[in-house]
Parts: sequence; structure tokens; C-alpha cells
Amino acid sequence: MGRGLWTLLLWSAAAGAAGAAGMEEDDSAALALPGAQVAPATSARTTSLTLEGVETAAAQDHGSEQEAQRVSADARYDSALAAGWRAIVAARLDAEWANRFDTLQEIGTLKEAYLSWQLQPSLLLDAGRINGRQGVAYGYNPTDFFRTDAVRSIVSIDPNSLRDNRLGTVMLRGQQLWDSGALSVVYAPRLTDHASAAPMDPDIGATNARGRWLVSFSQRIATDWTPQWLAFGGEGQEPQLGANLTALLGQSMVAYAEVSGGRSSSLWAQALDLPQSDSWRSRAATGLTYSTASKLSLTLEYEYNGAGLGTIAWDAARFGTLPRYGRYREYALAQQDPATRSNLFLYATWQDLVVQHLDLSAFLRQDLADHSRLPYVELRRHWTAFDLALRWQDAWGDSKSDYGASPQRQTWQFVIDYYL
Amino acid sequence: MSSLQWRALRNTVLAALLGLLPLVTAQAVTPGAPQPGAGQPEPSEAEAQKILAASDAVRNPSHSFGLTNTMTEYRHGRQTDVSTLQIYAKADGNSGQYRNLIRFVAPARDVNKLMLKNGNDLWFYDPSSQASVRISPRQRLLGQAANGDVVTVNFSRDYRARLVGEEDIDDGDRISHHCHKLALTAAANDVTYDSLEIWIDASNSHPIKARFYAESGQLLKTAYYRHYERQLEVERPTETVIIDGLDHQWVTIMRYTDYAWRDVPDSWLQRDYLARFRPE
Repeated sequence: MGRGLWTLLLWSAAAGAAGAAGMEEDDSAALALPGAQVAPATSARTTSLTLEGVETAAAQDHGSEQEAQRVSADARYDSALAAGWRAIVAARLDAEWANRFDTLQEIGTLKEAYLSWQLQPSLLLDAGRINGRQGVAYGYNPTDFFRTDAVRSIVSIDPNSLRDNRLGTVMLRGQQLWDSGALSVVYAPRLTDHASAAPMDPDIGATNARGRWLVSFSQRIATDWTPQWLAFGGEGQEPQLGANLTALLGQSMVAYAEVSGGRSSSLWAQALDLPQSDSWRSRAATGLTYSTASKLSLTLEYEYNGAGLGTIAWDAARFGTLPRYGRYREYALAQQDPATRSNLFLYATWQDLVVQHLDLSAFLRQDLADHSRLPYVELRRHWTAFDLALRWQDAWGDSKSDYGASPQRQTWQFVIDYYL
Repeated sequence: MSSLQWRALRNTVLAALLGLLPLVTAQAVTPGAPQPGAGQPEPSEAEAQKILAASDAVRNPSHSFGLTNTMTEYRHGRQTDVSTLQIYAKADGNSGQYRNLIRFVAPARDVNKLMLKNGNDLWFYDPSSQASVRISPRQRLLGQAANGDVVTVNFSRDYRARLVGEEDIDDGDRISHHCHKLALTAAANDVTYDSLEIWIDASNSHPIKARFYAESGQLLKTAYYRHYERQLEVERPTETVIIDGLDHQWVTIMRYTDYAWRDVPDSWLQRDYLARFRPE
């Protein structure tokens, strides 16, 4: 007889005995439960591996339907080599095909590979490929300066996935911490400008085509109030400034603001390599997250890209020359910048929806220039070692709009994730 | 990782940390410190407060420390969840609040994710994306975290105690103890429970059992502190059983192991250190 059945029998017997004896509530039954059976870990686990299988069915704009399959492996290794030394390696492999294996396409992403040296408890140095992500916003991170050209394989439009599944940048990083703040200095050298589409290439050229630097500084200036200030620059680019701010508004709401700014040409001029004098351009993402007692969290975020196209320019671009428009879209995507100036992002998560371990996450992006929208919903049921998920996304807007331009309309995905 | 996984993770962590861990998330005990909201207590109140403070000291080590917390959740007698956390805790010299760094050990989907709690400065960190997400105090009360304050609040700081009698009650191991029974009422506005009853062993100040009530008088949680062992120089409960007051079929058992004194520099207790934190 299995242990689970014994537990249930003991539970039933104890509950019955408690009732017969007039004991309070069901306490005796609860106290008879066996408790944790897993052996507590005494040292940090060094490796983790996630396997994922996805079946996709997408309705095309012209009415046909397209199916695709994908399997992915995502591994991470993080281990102490000696006192004060750590080695971190994270990599991902995606293999996708469309019903027939002769259409198989593979792409590897070396996300991180670096050494970390803790000279003192509060002084650290790192060297290697590092995913040095910055930012506090959910849908758009203007201070995430190393995001450019970092995504090699888009497996989901979920912003969390775009942040997870990307290339780090080869850099040297030093960090000094003190009781109320920290200072980090990063230098990412120019290594090669030869980007590679080869499946297993580390693609150093995508992230280190030019030298760049970043300084970030945090200082607590009041209780629960620690803004972060950043300065970023590089070859062929004027210095950019940035800030990350978060604040509590009562017990249920977090407000955040992420801003950057500096002199640059417009995204359009950059994409088409047009001569244009630099002027000050700002980017921002600011929002509120509100949580309810029913396990629902809602985030509303306003996103502004001062280098993107305003409404009039956007209309001119999308109804103008197709190659230039296409080039601009491609460039904005690689920069992980919105194509237009203003967007709204509504994000919702709901844990234990209806039944325990069933979670809902959903978001809606809206382009405020052409009013196209991108809805995305995921229902996920999780067990100890694996998850099953059903995803749906659509593209609402005409074929020349920001989010309606995708040839795919309704897309369904069935996902299984296995955690090792 | 999806945002919902984030939510589930942070709720579980917060459950254990912010509240579920008797030893980790409670405020540090500062003997003799004035109690919030209290004027000059009546002699009987002072005695009750002293009993309560002594009980807090049983649950809360006096210096920074680490431990492992394994949480097992049951619904209708069937195990539905197991999570394991590794926790570093350090008391704030000024407020007496414990500040925590927590690493997820299990389940596998959450391995090596972190949470920082420093007062109301609450952050979750995912090593795969290097993303830190700030969360609100309300979010710590979602899911299992609702159990948190059952066992982790430093009662002598947040509540005014009144001695209402002596009772012989059974502990979580069904052994009878002669206890002080205290009635506590909230002395601070931001506490989770409006009032509670707690039974404290009259011979050694061990907390044995507590009941937690909403403002309406509804029973929200019952907690049993059991399996006392000598840890970090004091006999401390190494297991807490939490029974939901609204759904008696929902039970969470927390087991504490791997106690050790840990040096936790203040400079580690900030968002910028999360990517660096690596427990021993």
C-alpha cells in the first residue's frame, strides 16, 4: 500500500477520533501528518536544466493554418571553484521544425560564461560573457543598455522570456558594495563586428561589435528608497544617462519609473543609416503594480521611446516605401525598442485560479500611434517537476499597423516544461 | 520563466520568510525595549509582556544566522506541495526587524532564485534573467504567505499582551504542558492579525500553540510549535504546524534544519547584491 494511501487513512482515522472525542477542530488530524520528506539541502545546487516541448498552431492572415514544433534545453551551471571564486555558464538550445524534420532549424544561445572573484565580502570582479540586465519595468527597459542585438532566438513574446533567453555581453565588471549602496563599473570591449547566424556560434559579434561602458550607482537616501543612477556610453554613441526608481504606495501597490536619456539620432535615421544631427532623446517606462487579496496582480505601464516615430512619421513610414519600413521594423526589434513613440502595457497575473497550482498570466500591448494591440494569455498548471501550459496570442490591427503587421493572427501553443 | 511562476515563487518564499519562518522573519528581541503604542503598562500587563518577550527569544536567535526551511503543504490529508529554502537572517540594529536573504533550493523550477526582505524593501531575483522585481507587503500575504505572520511576527513588539489564565494544553506532539495563556491585541497598524491567543509553557517560555484572529473575530490560523531541539545555544522549535482557520483541510508543516551562525554584512542586504549572493 502506498505511502499516500496510508497518510489518507491515518488522516481519516485521526479526524474521526477527534470528532468522537470532541476535540477542537481537526487539529489532531493535522498533527498526525508526516511532515516534510525531502532531505534538506546543505549546499547550493550547482546545475539546473529545463526541457521544453511546444506545439504551435497559428492562423495566417490569408486564412491558412501553420503548425510548428519546438524542443528546447536550457541549462545553467553556477559553482564555487575555490574560496572567493565562482564559475557561471548558462546556455540554451532551440530546435524547431514544421511537421517535417527536414525543416529542422537549430539555434544555440550562449547566455553567460564568466568567472567571478570576490576579493572581499563587498568587492567583486567578474570577467566573461555576462547578462548584465538593468531596469525595474516589466514591458520595456530603457536602462537595459546591453539589450541591443542580444536576442538570438525568440521563442515567446512574453517579456520575461525575452529577458531570459538572450546573449550576455563579454565584459569586465567590478562592483563595490557598502551598507547603503553600491557602485558598479563595466567595460565591454570591441571584439568583432562579425555577427553569425551559425546555429552553435557564440555570436560574439552580436554583442561586442563595439566597445561600451556602464557605470551604475545606488544609494539609499531614505527608508525603502534606493534609487539607481546609470551612465552608459560607447564607440559611436553619445553618453546616455539613466535612473531606476521604485516606491511603495501603501501596502498593496508598487510604483516604478525607469528613464534614460542622451543625445542621439532617431531610430529611423539609425535604421536607414541616414545623416542626422544628434539631439536629446528620452526613453521611459513607468507604471503601477497593484495586488489584491485574491492573488491577482495588475500592472499598468506607460512606455515612451523618444527616438521612435511619432504618429505622423509612423503613418508616413508604414504607408511609404516597403523596404525602408521593413528595415526600420527589423532594426527596432533588434534594439528591443518600441517602433513608435508611445505604448501601453497591461499585465496581469493570477495565482491559483479556480484550483490550486493553476496560474494565469496575460498581457495586452497597445500602440498609441495606430491603436493596434497585441494580446497574450497563458494558463499554466504546475506539478513538482513539470508544467503544462496553454498559450494564446493574437494580433489586432490592420496589416500596416505595429502589432497587426504580423502574418500570424491567432496563435495557440501547448507547452510542457520539465525541470531537472 | 513566466511571471506567474515568479508570483508563485515569491509567494512561497515570502510565506517562509516573511512569515512562515519562526526564526527568520520575526523581529529580533530587544530586552527592555519600549513597546510600540504602549504607555506605562500596568503591572499585570508588564508581566504578560515579559512572558511574551521571553517566548520571542526562544524563537529568535540573537545574532545573524542561517537555516534551511522545508515546507510541506497538505490539502485533505494529501501532500500537495513541498518547497525548500535556505535562509540567511540578520537583525536590524535600529528597528530590531530581521532582514533576510533567501535562496530557493526546491522545487527544481525555482532553484537558486532569491528573495531579499529588508523592512518593506522586498525584491525577488531570477538568476537566469538577472531580473529583480520589487513587490509590495500585500504580495507577501498571498498564498502560503498568509501563514507567515502566524509564526514569525515578533509578538512582543507588535502586540500588547494580557495574561488571561493558566491552562494545561497538549502540544503538537500531544504532550501536555502547563501554560500561560496570553491574549494579544495589535499595537501597530500594519500587523496582519488583529488579535491572537498564545499558550506559553510556564516552565521554560516555549511557545506551544497560537491562534490568530481577524478583526471580525474569525479564526484565521492555528499554529503548533513542536519538536524542540537545542539549536544555536537555545532550545527552539524545529517544526511548526499551521492549520488554516477557514479551511481546516489546509495544513502546512515547516521544518527547520541546518542552523548555523552566519556572518551577514549589511552590504549584502540590498538589491545590488542579489546577483552575488551564494550561500555556503
